[in-house]
Amino acid sequence: MMRKVIGIIVIIVGLGYVFMSFDFLPVIGDSTAPAHTHVSDYYIENALRDTHSPNLVTAVLADYRGFDTLLETTVMFSAGVCAVMILGSKSHIRNRFLVPKKILKGKPEPGVSAYKTVNKDVMVTLIAIMILLYAIYVLLHGEVGPGGGFQAGALMALSYIVSMMIAPDTRPLFSLSKANAAALAGIGVFIYAFTGLLTVFNGGMFLEYGRLPFPVSNEYLHTIGIMLIEVGVTIGVMATIITILKAIIERVRFDDDRD
Amino acid sequence: MMTGIEQFLADKGIYYLTFLLLSFGVYGIIACKNYMKKLICMNIMQVAAIVFFLSLGQKKGATIPVLIEGLTNADSYINPLTHALMLTAIVVSLGTTGVGLALLTRIREKFGSVEEDDIIRRQNKL
Repeated sequence: MMRKVIGIIVIIVGLGYVFMSFDFLPVIGDSTAPAHTHVSDYYIENALRDTHSPNLVTAVLADYRGFDTLLETTVMFSAGVCAVMILGSKSHIRNRFLVPKKILKGKPEPGVSAYKTVNKDVMVTLIAIMILLYAIYVLLHGEVGPGGGFQAGALMALSYIVSMMIAPDTRPLFSLSKANAAALAGIGVFIYAFTGLLTVFNGGMFLEYGRLPFPVSNEYLHTIGIMLIEVGVTIGVMATIITILKAIIERVRFDDDRD
Repeated sequence: MMTGIEQFLADKGIYYLTFLLLSFGVYGIIACKNYMKKLICMNIMQVAAIVFFLSLGQKKGATIPVLIEGLTNADSYINPLTHALMLTAIVVSLGTTGVGLALLTRIREKFGSVEEDDIIRRQNKL
């Protein structure tokens, strides 16, 4: 009760202060607001010349702020490794807290769904393939239209999660063990960093796509560079999500587990 | 012709909504006794911050930040910078949620519950 009162007081004071001091914020839709006047105009007007990418978000994400995105991908990778390490220690099953068996007595057998049908298994295989196709479209189309590596990675992980959660008995489209998924996340980050290192070996700066060692024109070099790091980001994000999911599912105990 | 209150809501209304969402999250973190609910409230706060940034990136009469041939004016495209920043923020929030869930799994293993009262009771007993 006390903490609810404290919470309401904190929020009323905070909201009151905020509501009174909103004058300094710019009007929504005002194109002369401070956020639009400094670096954003440069990005919009020069992105096609600098990066040859029509999608400005991809241009900012992968080219102008490529180093930032590399570290974001590393943060994702470390989150996956962190989840594995938190849940990786092998504790004996006896040392874990067990729900008393008498609670479960008299209840129907858990783990078996009352609704038995092949429909969901069949539909899941179709839906998983469609999600995977859409993910590949989003990845490859990410440079010329809305899309990109992060979204494609999340979609690919979704296609795995859907088939694993809804139909655990059927064979999923692709299967990854926990260790393989963690390794794959590292490979994704490595592809990104290695693209940067290729340009360094060729005499450029880190992630300067114009210096990639391929015998094509400058425009295609930028396309190839952005595509390479998008693939790296996709693999990293997908594998990280699967790693976290696998690590939690291997360790967690539900109330209706009987082991 | 818009009246005064409509003009005010169109100009600044979204800020109040995002701060309302943020305060829902803060209140949930303070008031909820279930750690899972606390984690969800943290996610709500992150969503509020993301919506706030995205609303700062809007421009009146502008289109999405994908270049169209013949349209090179900077005022014709909404700000790509906030969108790029929030794209990574969403993914990082996914990572923090994953680590939080892993920690919750360990807490549930050790104390048998994610309710704060149960955990405090069990810790006093140990």
